[in-house]
Amino acid sequence: MQQRRVQSSQRRDVAHLINDRGSRVRTIILILNYTLPVLYFATVWSYAKAFFRNSAIAKWVKTPLLTFTIVCHFLYLTARTILFDHPPITNICEILSVLAFTTALSYLAIEYITKVESTGYFVLIISFFFQLLSTLLIHEISNVNPVLRNNLLGFHVTSALLGYSAFAISAVYGFLYIMLYHHIKSNRFGVIYDNLPNLEKLERMATVSVLTGFILLTVAIIVGIVWLPRAFEHFSYFDPKLVGTVIIWLMYGIGLVAKQSIGWQGRKIMVLAIVGFAVTMLSLTVVNVFLSGFHNFY
Amino acid sequence: MNLALIGINHRTALLDVREKLWFSDAELPPTLTQLKNQFFTECFIVSTCNRTELYGIMDVQKLQGNSESIVKKAGQALVEAKSASGTVLPQHLYRSFGCKAAAHLFKVASGADSMVIGDIQILNQIKTHFNLATAEGTVGTFLNRLVQTALRVGKRSRAETTISEGAVSVSYAAVELASKIFSNLSEKRVLLIGAGETGELAAKNLVGRGVASLSIANRTRSKAEELVQELGGAVVEYDHVEDALPGVDVLITSVSSPQYILAQDQLRRVMKARSNAPLLVIDIGVPRNVHPDVNKLENVFLHDVDSLSRIVDQNLARRKAALAPVNAIVLEELIGMRQWFESLQVNPTISDLHAYFETVRSDEVKKHINRFSEQDRELVDLVTKRIVNKLLHLPTTNLKNGNGESAEERHKKIHIIRGLFGLHKNEPAEDDNEVGRSQ
Repeated sequence: MQQRRVQSSQRRDVAHLINDRGSRVRTIILILNYTLPVLYFATVWSYAKAFFRNSAIAKWVKTPLLTFTIVCHFLYLTARTILFDHPPITNICEILSVLAFTTALSYLAIEYITKVESTGYFVLIISFFFQLLSTLLIHEISNVNPVLRNNLLGFHVTSALLGYSAFAISAVYGFLYIMLYHHIKSNRFGVIYDNLPNLEKLERMATVSVLTGFILLTVAIIVGIVWLPRAFEHFSYFDPKLVGTVIIWLMYGIGLVAKQSIGWQGRKIMVLAIVGFAVTMLSLTVVNVFLSGFHNFY
Repeated sequence: MNLALIGINHRTALLDVREKLWFSDAELPPTLTQLKNQFFTECFIVSTCNRTELYGIMDVQKLQGNSESIVKKAGQALVEAKSASGTVLPQHLYRSFGCKAAAHLFKVASGADSMVIGDIQILNQIKTHFNLATAEGTVGTFLNRLVQTALRVGKRSRAETTISEGAVSVSYAAVELASKIFSNLSEKRVLLIGAGETGELAAKNLVGRGVASLSIANRTRSKAEELVQELGGAVVEYDHVEDALPGVDVLITSVSSPQYILAQDQLRRVMKARSNAPLLVIDIGVPRNVHPDVNKLENVFLHDVDSLSRIVDQNLARRKAALAPVNAIVLEELIGMRQWFESLQVNPTISDLHAYFETVRSDEVKKHINRFSEQDRELVDLVTKRIVNKLLHLPTTNLKNGNGESAEERHKKIHIIRGLFGLHKNEPAEDDNEVGRSQ
């Protein structure tokens, strides 16, 4: 282990000596780190303007702006990977930034597939806050756990994070569903009624998000269970993070089965999407902050 | 502008008066020809259930008397053409001239002047009636330009403002509500209970949106069968309505009955049978047909006449809010129209022509002036100026005198001259016709 660390730091020194590439990449990272929250803010603001004020300029600019933001964010994460020689998942701030990225990317995919452009504000605000936190708190860690330099781990973590952002998005759509549901029931025909897509579509968007999240989480768990025992000496099937994740996985699985077989639909299943995400967040917090296991690095 | 307008609409006369002045498509051509021969160089009529308006270009020089009296006479002729002089009185008719008349037509085309603000049909009616007048040969350069601009105003108002957005009748509000709950109406089944008029209209609109199926139940079965003949679908026995409900996504009730015809318990059973899939209940009956507590059931959306009216009111308010931007569009197009019109006048054309020749002359002189000796230069300037003035003298006097030609002929001539010498700086590109056609 010690040896690998020395090797990689040597590699970086060589690179630094050859063409000073490192310092240039470092500057790019520094600039992007502060630009990203601004870009996300501008994106969220234009989506809000489009939704609440019906602004024509905002409607025109929002999606290209989001795409540009996502490209910048991708550059930022790639630059970090190159410079620090590991996937950007080694500390909580990097994770937050990746979550912001995956959420925004998933949203863009949803917008492209469903052609529903009005819900961006409610989803992207999550990306904005995650990235803002990451920007303000991030600092370089010199001592990175070598296990985290593994690329398979990158795959494992990325699919888990994409899965969680899909759950987050499903909760947002669940929330929008409940909002519109109550507005229609109580005859409030305002901005929400005018601009949100119809209930059936919102329900479908939430369901597809849950399904996507569930598949990604399944992948993450399988990769984890196959690969983790080989990478860690202290691997245990009763590790809190593993158990927590499996519980979340089971919960969503049961929900999906219930929707299919019992035919739960409408308000009830949307409430479930919100509750599911709340439980997920709670479980992740408890596992990462209060419990310890082989799986915790931060 | 020698444009004049005389007309009648829902603001100046009640239906029983203005229907007397309604022209069918067959009646329009002879009337147009007659009016053109008597009073105008160009004219055209828009006639709908809410208005009949005559637009004409007057040739004041040809006709003795002022424009006011010409229009009054034209109005009389219009009324007499329908033999309605007993019913349609002078106070029912409004008149306006020039830019005001053009602005009026633009507003009509935008839907701002319609009885139900933002009405979409008016644009098609203007187009149809304009085509009739074109076929009859009663419109020329000027009215063609005017109507094409009006059609563009209408198109822009719909695209750029909210003037025709949202349902503005109770029956359409029901459709709007359904499409806020369901994404694909072609998969949804509709049941209509009762045969009230609004309920029937709502069902008709839903069928127009292509719903999967329609069934109709009525206490007197024959009435239901009659409706099925008209709208398509199937008849359901009034007494077995509850059995049909689980398969239905939109339920419309418009029964005149002193008691509720559906209670909460009944619908609770229905919801269980349809595994809680969302159900829209539109209760148009007065007194209400469905117990209000039904709205408390999960995934049931109960709306009565009041809540549908609320949607209508809100949409009307939104359409009214679009009046300011629509007026801005009207003004913008009016200015463009005015500029085009001014460019067709004699004097500006003469000065544009002189300016064009002068530019050519001075440019050439400047280019070659160095070839002449110092003392000759002034002379060169003078001689070239004289040549240009001589060349332009005859065309200028001919244009000014006009030789007794009509305004129409003069406009045509100026149009050609401007085209020949490339003086059309005030005129937008010739895409107007396409705008009109693509409507």
